[in-house]
Amino acid sequence: RKHAGVEILDAKTREKLCFLDKVEPQATIAEIKNLFTKTHPQWYPARQSLRLDPKGRSLKDEDVLQKLPVGTTATLYFRDLGAQISWVTVFLTEYAGPLFIYLLFYFRVPFIYGHKYDFTSSRHSVVHLACICHSFHYVKRLLETLFVHRFSHGTMPLRNIFKNCTYYWGFAAWMAYYINHPLYTPPTYGAQQVKLALAIFVICQLGNFSIHMALRDLRPAGSKTRKIPYPTKNPFTWLFLLVSCPNYTYEVGSWIGFAIMTQCLPVALFSLVGFTQMTIWAKGKHRSYLKEFRDYPPLRMPIVPFLL
Amino acid sequence: WLVIAVGLVRAYLAKGSYHSLYYSIEKPLKFFQTGALLEILHCAIGIVPSSVVLTSFQVMSRVFLIWAVTHSVKEVQTEDSVLLFVTAWTITEIIRYSFYTFSLLNHLPYLIKWARYTLFIVLYPMGVSGELLTIYAALPFVRQAGLYSISLPNKYNFSFDYYAFLILIMISYIPLFPQLYFHMIHQRRKVLSRTEEHKKFE
Repeated sequence: RKHAGVEILDAKTREKLCFLDKVEPQATIAEIKNLFTKTHPQWYPARQSLRLDPKGRSLKDEDVLQKLPVGTTATLYFRDLGAQISWVTVFLTEYAGPLFIYLLFYFRVPFIYGHKYDFTSSRHSVVHLACICHSFHYVKRLLETLFVHRFSHGTMPLRNIFKNCTYYWGFAAWMAYYINHPLYTPPTYGAQQVKLALAIFVICQLGNFSIHMALRDLRPAGSKTRKIPYPTKNPFTWLFLLVSCPNYTYEVGSWIGFAIMTQCLPVALFSLVGFTQMTIWAKGKHRSYLKEFRDYPPLRMPIVPFLL
Repeated sequence: WLVIAVGLVRAYLAKGSYHSLYYSIEKPLKFFQTGALLEILHCAIGIVPSSVVLTSFQVMSRVFLIWAVTHSVKEVQTEDSVLLFVTAWTITEIIRYSFYTFSLLNHLPYLIKWARYTLFIVLYPMGVSGELLTIYAALPFVRQAGLYSISLPNKYNFSFDYYAFLILIMISYIPLFPQLYFHMIHQRRKVLSRTEEHKKFE
């Protein structure tokens, strides 16, 4: 059986970092990364990007050495991706923050509003309802992160956690400040408006959850297979007929519901910023579906049926 | 910008003092500085290779100072700090646009290149000082009039304190100004040393 040699060079300086001899031809890139870590322990596998060409794209962990266009000695180029953090850790941190922060404002913890309001309770029923909805939303997200989602990538760059947490925690504080303020003004159309908003919110939460479950069922545990999502028996998944990313559609819907419920401009702004970001993600996902699958349903739009 | 420069000089000669020269060039200043918004568009559509973010930043900060501070708070229009930043901007822009014009004609005099990459050393701090002093002067009048501010309660459950916002803007100069200044110094070293190299081989 022929054994291969693998030399690893730095992509920027072309310096030879490591030579691995007697590598099995059927070895995967993941295994090579593990071997490389042995000689350079500070570069754990998640921060390694190995490529055939210094300026080319990264090789996947599943790629097999003998299937790559290399000779008996493979030359791989290494780039350090920087400190990495797991997606699960990032999600848990960025979602736990808003849950906790909103409650600080809801209970009117001292030093937020004037001292005479410390630990008082709002007299508007919609404020209590809003707290329940906001908290439910983030508890749902935390549980989904722990039990539902199947992540394609294990990690992301460390700096993302600071960026993401600033966004989520910052907006949560900004919204919570006004909704729980002693001078909060309840919705103009009263109970009717709140009921309609609550209906939108609940439907979209159920919808979003249904999509997350449907996407989970598309991919067996531990695998990284990719398939086209289709509507199931659950009516909430029928939105797949019209959009590629109905989870984002429902998410925007939830926040629109919350904005109508609270009639709070910062909530509307948060919905708008979220919508913008999710549209960018949806368009990217839609494009990669189209590239990967020849028979992708042509009626589907990325995030808004027929429009966007 | 030459129009503004000439306007300033003429008004100074006519009045004999340098106070309240803002009024003599108010309209062309607003017109030409606001026109610079086109520079953002040019970057966005790609006909100019500069970064959209960096350009937006520079142009928006100027436009903000002209409209949201100087125009909006009439009491600061007689401040000397306004003349300080207007003078700095005028000289800078005359040199910058000449630089672009001559570069496009493939006939850039070294003097203009030198001026663009050297005079900023004085003009940039001068402009920043004028800007900060003007914002600072505007603060009490903003507070008094509650300018551009919304307070609770209101039906959109939103508030905005323009006074606090202006203070935040002033604070933001602290991290931003050194970065931009040292970036220009770095550019200066790169551009002017390259010219020296070329001269050696002539």
